[in-house]
Formats: sequence, C-alpha cells, structure tokens
Amino acid sequence: MAAPSTPSGTPDAGGRSLKQLVLGRKDVQDLSDTEQELPPDLMTVNMGPSHPAMHGTVRIVLTVDGERVVAGDVQPGYLHRCFEKESEYATFTQVFPYTDRLNYVSPMINNCGWAMAVEKLMGLTGSIPKRAEYVRVIVSEMSRMTDHLTCIGASAMELGAFAVFLFFLKAREWMYELLEKVSGARLTHSYVRIGGVSKDLPDNFHAELTLCLDQTVKVIAEGEGLLNNNKIFRDRMAGIGAMTKADAIATGCVGPIARAAGLDYDVRKDYPYSVYPELEFDVPVGTTGDCYDRYLVRVEELKQCIRILRQCLAQIPDGPVMIADHRVALPPKHDTYNTIESMIRHFKHIMDGVKVPAGEAYAFVEGGNGELGFYVVADGTGRPYKAYVRSPSFVHLSTAAQLIHGHLIADVVPIFGMINMIGGECDK
Amino acid sequence: MTDVVKTTPAPAPGATTPPMPATPPPPASTTPEGSVALTIDGMAVTVKKGTNVLEAARTLGIDISAFCYHPGLPIVAQCRQCLVAVEKNPKLQPSCQQACGEGMVVHTTDAQSTLARKQQLEFTLLNHPIDCPICDKAGECTLQRLYFEHENSRVDVPKVHKAKVVDLGPTVVLDQERCILCSRCIRTCDEVAGEHQLDFAHRGDHEVLTTPPGAQLDNPYSVNTVDVCPVGALTQKDFRFTMRAWELEATPSVCNGCATGCNIEVHHKHGRAWRLVPRHNPDVNKYWMCDEGRLTYHALREHRLVGATVDSLPAGWDRAIRAAADRLAGVLTGGAPTVGVVLSAEYSNEDNFALAKLAKLWGVSNVYAAGKPDVAGRADGRLRVADVNPNRAGVAVIAEALGLAIKPVAQLSADVRCLVLLGTELPGVDDAKLRELDVIALSTHERGPVATAKIALPVAAWAEAAGTVTNNKDHVQRMHAAFVAPGQALAGWEAVVRLAQATSAKLGYTHAREVFKDMTQTVPAWKALTWAREARPLALRFAGSRG
Repeated sequence: MAAPSTPSGTPDAGGRSLKQLVLGRKDVQDLSDTEQELPPDLMTVNMGPSHPAMHGTVRIVLTVDGERVVAGDVQPGYLHRCFEKESEYATFTQVFPYTDRLNYVSPMINNCGWAMAVEKLMGLTGSIPKRAEYVRVIVSEMSRMTDHLTCIGASAMELGAFAVFLFFLKAREWMYELLEKVSGARLTHSYVRIGGVSKDLPDNFHAELTLCLDQTVKVIAEGEGLLNNNKIFRDRMAGIGAMTKADAIATGCVGPIARAAGLDYDVRKDYPYSVYPELEFDVPVGTTGDCYDRYLVRVEELKQCIRILRQCLAQIPDGPVMIADHRVALPPKHDTYNTIESMIRHFKHIMDGVKVPAGEAYAFVEGGNGELGFYVVADGTGRPYKAYVRSPSFVHLSTAAQLIHGHLIADVVPIFGMINMIGGECDK
Repeated sequence: MTDVVKTTPAPAPGATTPPMPATPPPPASTTPEGSVALTIDGMAVTVKKGTNVLEAARTLGIDISAFCYHPGLPIVAQCRQCLVAVEKNPKLQPSCQQACGEGMVVHTTDAQSTLARKQQLEFTLLNHPIDCPICDKAGECTLQRLYFEHENSRVDVPKVHKAKVVDLGPTVVLDQERCILCSRCIRTCDEVAGEHQLDFAHRGDHEVLTTPPGAQLDNPYSVNTVDVCPVGALTQKDFRFTMRAWELEATPSVCNGCATGCNIEVHHKHGRAWRLVPRHNPDVNKYWMCDEGRLTYHALREHRLVGATVDSLPAGWDRAIRAAADRLAGVLTGGAPTVGVVLSAEYSNEDNFALAKLAKLWGVSNVYAAGKPDVAGRADGRLRVADVNPNRAGVAVIAEALGLAIKPVAQLSADVRCLVLLGTELPGVDDAKLRELDVIALSTHERGPVATAKIALPVAAWAEAAGTVTNNKDHVQRMHAAFVAPGQALAGWEAVVRLAQATSAKLGYTHAREVFKDMTQTVPAWKALTWAREARPLALRFAGSRG
C-alpha cells in the first residue's frame, strides 16, 4: 500500500493545499469573507467573433460591471471580402455574384440595386421592360420576406422560442425553393442583369407563389400568437435597446430600425423606383424605438410584402424581361451559335464586359435592412473604375455600442438580433 | 510613349544659334506654312499637309473604322470600311486615301456614311466563320472591336467555305475562311521584307490569300503579317494555341536579339514571356521586327543559371561570394596583373558599367570586351544586322568614359590566372586555356565557360531587370522588368555590388536607377539622359482590343 497522500486540507511546505496546487486557486469554503465578495473591478469579456448569437462573425469586447455592460467595443471585419476592390476587376455583369454575398439573406434586392446603378449610368433607367420591372419587384419583396423571417425567427430562438424559429424558417424555405425555381440557385441567385433579368419566371409561378403566400400568412399569424403577448418575449424586448428618432437620424439609421424609432422613411415611398408607384402598400412606423417595436415593424412589413406580391401577381404584364438594346443584352444562344455578329457580341460582352460610358452614378433601393445604395464610377470600359456600397448593416452596427450601454449582458443578444447585422453586407 | 533618347553631340562652345528669320509671323487666322486646316464632325483641326483624313480624325479622338489602312503601309483603300462624307463631294470618300484639303468639311457620323460603313461591315462578316471561341486573334481582333456597329446580318445564305489550315511557310499558318482580303499582309511582305511572297487568287467570294505556286512565306520578317492581320486569318506557329490574348500582360522593352534594338512589348503571364511583338518607334524599327528577334524569348527559359555554384556544385549566394572574395584576395594589388575582367556586349549598360567601375576600383588593367561573334550574311539593310549583341556600342562608350583600355577577349593576356567574366561568350579563347583559369562568372545562362567556371553567379536576363541598352545608332533605350528572374538570380549590377563589397571595393548601388545616374554623370555623351518611370505591366484585357 502506498502511503496516503496529503489530505486536501493539509498545507504543503509552501502553505498551500493540494487542491490549491491543482486548481491554482482556493476552494470557495477556504476563502476568507473579504475574498468571497465579487471583485469590484470592471471585467473585460469577449463576445464573439464565433458565438451563435453573433450573426455572421463580429466580435464585441464587453467591459462589464458585474452583469451590466459599461462599454462595448464592436469589431467587425472578420468577414471582409473586398467587395469594392474586387468589383474593379470584374465586368459590370460579373459584379452581380458579388452583390449576392452582401446581404446574403436578401440577395435579390442587392442585385436590383447594382443593376439600377449601372442602368442609371447608361441612361437606361425607365427603358427596362415593364415585365422585368415587375419581376424585379416580386423577387425583391420575396427576398425582403426571407430577410425578415430570418431576423425574427433567429431572434425569437435566441430568447428561447425555438418553435417560432422553426415555423419561420419553414416559410423562408418555401420562398427559397420558389426563388430557386426562378433563378437556379437557392441562396446566391445572381438573377438580375443590366437591362432586365436573366430569364423569365418559371411556369406555374403564379399559382405556387399564391399558395406560398397563403401558407405564410398562417405561419406569421402563428408566430405572432406565440410572441406578441408572450411575457418572456416582451420582457426581453420591450424597453431594450431603445433609440430616439433624433438619434436614428443623427447616426444615419434607416430601414426597420429607423422606422421603429418613428422615422417615416422608406425608399420605396420617398424615392420611388421601378414599379413601386403603381403598387399600394403602407409603411409601418413605431413609437418607442426599442427592440419590441423593431419586431412589430418587421412583422407588419412582412404583411405589406404579401400585399405587394399579390398586387404584382395581378398586374404583371406579358412581354420581354430583357431590354432589346444589343449593347446591353446578351444575344440569344441560338444566334450566338449561328451568326458571327452575335458570336462577336457574346464574346465581347463576356470578355470585355458591357461598355458603360464614363461617369458616376448613385442608385439606392430599400433593402431588407434599409437604404442600400451603390455608387459606381465608370471610365468607359467594361469594368467599374470604382464601386462603393452604402450598406445599412454597417451603419446600424456603428450604433450597437451605444444601444447596449447600460443593459445586461443577456440583453446584448436581442439588441444585436434586432439590429440584424449581416456580416457580408457590413464588412462588404 | 517613347523612352528613346537620341544622343546628339553638344553644340561646340562658341557656336551661335542662327538669327530668327526677318519675316513676321503669319496672322493667326491663316494656316501655317505646310499645314492645312479642316473641319471633322464640327471640330476644327490643323494637320501637316499630305495627312489623310483618317489620321486627322484620329488626332481628334475620332476612330474611323478601317481594316486595310495601316500607318506603316502603302494605302490601297480596298476595304471601304473608312468611308466618310466630304462636303461638296457627291460620293463618299475612303478617309484613308483622302488627303486633307484646306477648308475641307468632313462628316463621319452622318446617316449616309454611317450606313455605308455598317453595310460594308455586313458584307465583310457575311462569310466570316463563327470562330471566336477557337480563334487566336479573339480579344485583339478589329472585327470584334466594331461589334457595336451593326446587328445581325439581313442576308441569310450559307457561308462560303475555304481552307481552314494552309501552311504558308515555316512561321505562319493561314485560315482562308477568316481572311477579309485587306491585303495588309501582302503589302507588309512587299514593304518590310521587300519580297512579294503573298497574293490573292480567284475572284468574288472565292477570292483567297495564297502564296504563288512553289513559293512559301519564308522571308525573315514574315511574322509581321500576323501582327497587321486585323482578323485571325494569319497566326504565328510559335504562339498559336498557347495563350489567349486578353490573359497576357504587356511590358515595354527592347529586343536583345541584335544591335538594332527594335522596340518591343513583352507579352507575359505566369512569370514567363509568351511572345514578343514590335512597338512603334519611328527612329528605330517603325512598326516591325524580325522573326528571329521574336523567338529570342525562348532563351529566357533555356539553360538558365538559377543558383550560385562553387566548383560546379550548388552554393548559396553568400558562400559563392565569399569564395570569390577569397580567390581575389591578395591578387588585387599593383595593377592586379593576374586578374582579368570581361565586359559583355550581351548585357545592359548598367551591368557593364557596374563591372567596369569595379575593375577600375580594383585597379585591374586587363579589361576585355566579349560578345557573340558577328553572323555573316545576316545584315540585309533593313532591320537585321550582323552584330547579334544588343549593347556593343554601350560597352565601348562606358569603357572609354571610365578610361579603361578594352581589348577583344581573344587577346587574353598570358599572365591572367583569374577571370571575372560577364556572360557566356569568350570568342577566340580556346577551352584548354580556359580550363587553366579560375573563372568567376556572372551569367544568365549555364553554358560554355560558365558550366566549368570555378564560381558562377546567376544574373537576371534582359526581360527580368530594369536597364538600358545602346544600339548601333547610339540610341540608349530602356528595358523594363516584365517578370521576376528565376531562382536566385539577381540583376547583374547587383551581383557586381555584392562582389565589390566582399572585396571591400566602394561600390554601393541599391537600384538600377542609381547605376544609371552614376553612368550618365560619367559618360559625357549620355549627360542629358533621364531614367523613365517604371512601366507597370498593362493587362491586355483592360486595354481592350489591340486590333
């Protein structure tokens, strides 16, 4: 038998117990009364960059006083993809796949924004075929729905309402499946083109979208029933992360966040583009500017999206979905293979890119998170000289430190969820 | 852009400039002597008398489409693609042939001439095969450049088929279907090579480009026909199917194939050259270069010395330099009679100047000049000359300016035991003698004396380092580094500096520009020369079509 080891309480030569040696600290019961108090100093805690509640990859270095956030140092940049620099090396058409990856939860809206900026530069605004404009609005509004469904679903899940997440993502999947039928890709659609869209809507699209909307209405009602008057949900959302209208304006906030704070600003209404003037819809505006209002605004926008989509389905005309201008449109494949003119044109469009006259333009659309703007400078070649994106997430994230100040660590999660930062858009 | 500087002797002291002519300057409203003023598309332009309308329009930035016109060739006006309307003239005029006249009013964008050009293009494309995806000219094709001009042809007839692969000679392949019969290649052979080796046969839509029976396209300037071909009819055997034109990057340089020093662009990608094409220089090579020069880029990848060696075994730079310094220690005193230094007409002014300066600092009196021997029968009174070294003139001027008496390397002194050698050529030195010497070689290639050298130091070749060469007309011309040198190779002057520092000689250049500056301050004839800004490689896909 080996000699019994030193009992845990027995001090060694240095006056430390074995447990102390192993753990590197004293056991709680061995602490003196003063030592048992929580340390009064501020503590620095890392939140993210790899944390389930830090959507995308963003890091917040929290300085906490106990449970309370004293300061938050928000550090984006972990998802940086050089969108703006990459664009300078791609043709105007090749930028579409890059825009897909900006706000990847609503890529169609990004596609439309980029197309509009280039079309403005080429003087094509207003000459896009009507059907193409309607198709753009349909896919944009579907994308807005996927964006809001994801945002609400994920935020609810983070507060414990897992069922809502599953319901909403089920509805989002219906949308994605439909968009996949439209574009060929579930998430990164690259569907819109300069001068129109790449292909017409698939057969039976009307019926499928109508069915999808009917089902989604029920899902939204279900979600609202579970959340709107849920005590936990309201306690975690109401009065949390509030922002005044003045602050929203001062910090450049747009979209649901600004509208929740009472700012009635929606690009679709205030700077109407495409066929939005022909469509009837309301812009929900909140009062308190807290997380709960942001949630309510998003839910109402979902309903307005459905309203817009139903009108579009009723109004969409027949016709081409691509402008006839051969400077812009790729020739039909049959012509490309059978006539030298179309072959040359196809070659030049693909290799050199659509020639855009020298100049600069800014075009902006209402994205899932608010005003999404593209600023393009062209030098007369087929590639942008400079591309800049005004991404709402980047602006909104800049307010995060201010919004979480004074709240509990647990409140960082709903605040961050309702800011709805999308890494791809924020880091560009 | 031209970075050619013609060195002219400075005016003799005391010479006076001739007095200004007594006639008063003409009033501003009239056209200066020897010039004509005309209006093109509402814009006034004054050009030299005899200029054609097409060139005059280009000075205004109006690019009238044309296939058969080439500024370096006689004008034939046969493609009819450059038709413009000239007021008071009932018929449209080919702008390439129409000389500018005083007070002429030209329209290039009016309905009549636009329609004419558009319809002409329709005809040109009628029998053109749908080859862009497999055509070597795609991306630098004049036809493609005009793609905005008109939409699909209204004529729906089967295309006339012709021979797709016609072997014209050792360098060029012809696709008769793609040929648009502009005759640029025929005129190029006539003008540049002085040999009529191509012509048209048959008539109408059966007309084809061909060589006369029994003849082939084998003149030493034949590949220029590929450069001038506005479509993909003529392709160079050496380049075809190797690289797509728009993938390449272009860096301006100078051909190192002979003493003419034709201005070229090195087209490169992935750290290697894929072809050399001539660059316009009215003083040296106009628009052309010879076929032999075009193939010199292959040598950049063959038998290269890529690492320093000592006793023919691989060694790092440090060990090789130390070994060289050890060998030279003790013998570099009192005129160093046992040390010889060999400059090379194959290397740049900078490399030679650095080595010549080092020889002077060492006090070496045995300085030699080497280079490839002349090639008898190569000179043809056009671009090709017998001297196949790019820089013989430069070596002579540098040595003279530094006060070094250089001898041909064939007169190698019997005292010399250690030879510091630039390059691989030692004409007139027999191998047995060479084996007795300790050779310290600085070289791009590993052959001849370098392969058996005691110490060999790898040096960047002409396309890999910035520098200048001096051609046989004393033009000092700039070469830009197109890509990085292979392995451990350093620029020649840099290797010289390392050698100098190991032997405690005071030579401390850190950039080719510094060598150049020192050189221009040393060589009186080159005092006025300036170092051009480094040229960044131009990606051809961003340059659009070159056609």
